[in-house]
Amino acid sequence: MTLLEVEDLRVRLRTPRGPAAVVNGLSYSVGEGETVAVVGESGSGKSVSVLALLGLLPARSATVTGRALLHGEDLLTMPPERLRQVRGPGIGMVFQDPMTSLNPVLTIGRQLVEGIRAHGEVSKADARRRAAELLGEVGLPDPRGTLDRYPHELSGGMRQRVVIAIALSNSPSLLIADEATTALDVTVQAQIIDLVERLQADHGTGVVWITHDLGVVAGIADRVLVMYGGRCVEDGTVDDVLEHPAHPYTRGLLGALPDLAAPAVDGEVPDLTTVPGVPPAPTDLPPGCVFWPRCPVRSDPRCETQQPPLAVVAASTGVLPHRAATWCAEEAPRG
Amino acid sequence: MDDVLVSARGLEVHFPVRAKGVGRRTAGVLRAVDGVDLDIRRGETLGLVGESGCGKSTLGNALLRLVPPTGGTVTFDGIDVTSLDRRRMRQLRRRAGMVFQDPFASLDPRRTVAQTVSEPLEVHGLHGGRRERAQRVGELLELVGLDPAVAGRYPHEFSGGQRQRVGIARALAGEPDFLVCDEAIASLDVSVQAQVLNLLRRLQRRLGLTLLFISHDLSAVRHISDRIAVMYLGRIVEIGPASAVGAEPQMPYTQALLSAVPVPHPALERSRRRIVLGGDVPSPANVPSGCRFRTRCPYVFEPCPDVDPALQPVGAAPDHVAACHLHGVVGTPVRHDEGVDVGS
Repeated sequence: MTLLEVEDLRVRLRTPRGPAAVVNGLSYSVGEGETVAVVGESGSGKSVSVLALLGLLPARSATVTGRALLHGEDLLTMPPERLRQVRGPGIGMVFQDPMTSLNPVLTIGRQLVEGIRAHGEVSKADARRRAAELLGEVGLPDPRGTLDRYPHELSGGMRQRVVIAIALSNSPSLLIADEATTALDVTVQAQIIDLVERLQADHGTGVVWITHDLGVVAGIADRVLVMYGGRCVEDGTVDDVLEHPAHPYTRGLLGALPDLAAPAVDGEVPDLTTVPGVPPAPTDLPPGCVFWPRCPVRSDPRCETQQPPLAVVAASTGVLPHRAATWCAEEAPRG
Repeated sequence: MDDVLVSARGLEVHFPVRAKGVGRRTAGVLRAVDGVDLDIRRGETLGLVGESGCGKSTLGNALLRLVPPTGGTVTFDGIDVTSLDRRRMRQLRRRAGMVFQDPFASLDPRRTVAQTVSEPLEVHGLHGGRRERAQRVGELLELVGLDPAVAGRYPHEFSGGQRQRVGIARALAGEPDFLVCDEAIASLDVSVQAQVLNLLRRLQRRLGLTLLFISHDLSAVRHISDRIAVMYLGRIVEIGPASAVGAEPQMPYTQALLSAVPVPHPALERSRRRIVLGGDVPSPANVPSGCRFRTRCPYVFEPCPDVDPALQPVGAAPDHVAACHLHGVVGTPVRHDEGVDVGS
């Protein structure tokens, strides 16, 4: 069953340097129990695209168009009161830095209880009991004691668990994690990923996992969407996209990754292939293909002036089409 | 040994922990670096990995005496760094460069690239004369892959990767033998990280640099290093050739750390067995007795709380050592009469 259906999402921001086209026509869907990974580098529009869904962009400077249906209801056009009702039980959100998403002067308990009581007639005592349960569920030792502690008394991994507990406090059908494990050590990251996978299996939660880490994506995602310059440049099943990348950008990204699983040849680790240059500024996007200025292929003369549409590139292994927005796809498996 | 450039023996950096309230009396000791023996060989790249708070940055700083060691010695090319006076220390500093994590915070926003890169030249009185210095700055910028024409620009005009190149140019200005890169690629995007990693490797070979590459990113460390040292709670717990440590880690902590690094291959990643460690890293102000990893180790057995393990040869590769009783109980017995834990 489809939980979230995003259609042609576009976000324009007014900035001091002129209008910025941050998201340029993004479409995807998330099914029940499914994990969709949105991959991209800084400035690719991946974070802004979810902030737009949640109505968290400043209304004065942001223009959001398109549709985003959660259980058939459009998040982008619903009145603010309704959106507030939908957010807790509908969508849970986990941001990158747990220190900035928690209020430093309130105890963990107060912050959890606030979320629980905002979305239902629950007594304080019951909400507190539920809060302790949640902390236990996310694997925090001594849940009751933790309720009375302040964020600074916890380690980074523990804080991120608290943020996840808050996001899950109203049993949302959709969880959005924006670089949720980026600030954490790999060992803690492994714990958090296990936790999310377990919760997903138990509750059938749909997950949108925003990250730049393709290793994490390989482990958790069913589907991948690669963003560049505010567009989806490639999408498909995780196996198709990571093992048979079609877009020159996806291939570049994978080649640029030092790979623990691909060790030395004759004691010599080969240089990484790099993508020259830097991503385009959303205030100054190239006229043709967004990747053209950095593209090592450029095999089609249209690339310079026209944006290639997302098109099916190859017979895909899964149930989903494997698409890429390029005229320069080489059907070579990743070497 | 004269193939060793930088050497630490029993190196300790302890910070006093103040009690809350009036008087601020010392309540304990935070053992950021707690007895490190380390030899960095001339011309090698040594990767130093560990979780946040393990003391890897403090160790890097202590080797350059950017934080004063509270115990042990550091020698640089045979010279005892810990006992040098300020003037001699400054002379020695020219031979060691440092690249910092955050290219936004480590460059002065009010100084041009040329001013930033030429500061070490002025401090150390190198390339006297304005024209010579300007020329040297140009050479340095070219060396790190920047157009010398950007010398007059300010940091805000550059992207993160370009700023990091400026930071590297500054670190190379004094023609150092030794370069410490402390999380130098951590704040960069993947495609830009690769550019900087390749640049560091190229520079290291071309200039014969000795490189200490401190990072929490094991894939990057594995990629760039000749040898890898793994740090846990202020100690080096395993060190050896990058291929050996990367492929056949011998210390349970290293095994867990490596197993937690996700690899970008879906089929492989789904079938890999992750060793998920329980709990958090203990506080360096309250280090467990004996083996410091024992509170999280899946293989803990009798000697672990009672004997502080020493580094001993492990695995098939020569000079691969680890501090773990699974390879034989070697180390310093804990003296229980002196409280919970006693260092070596």
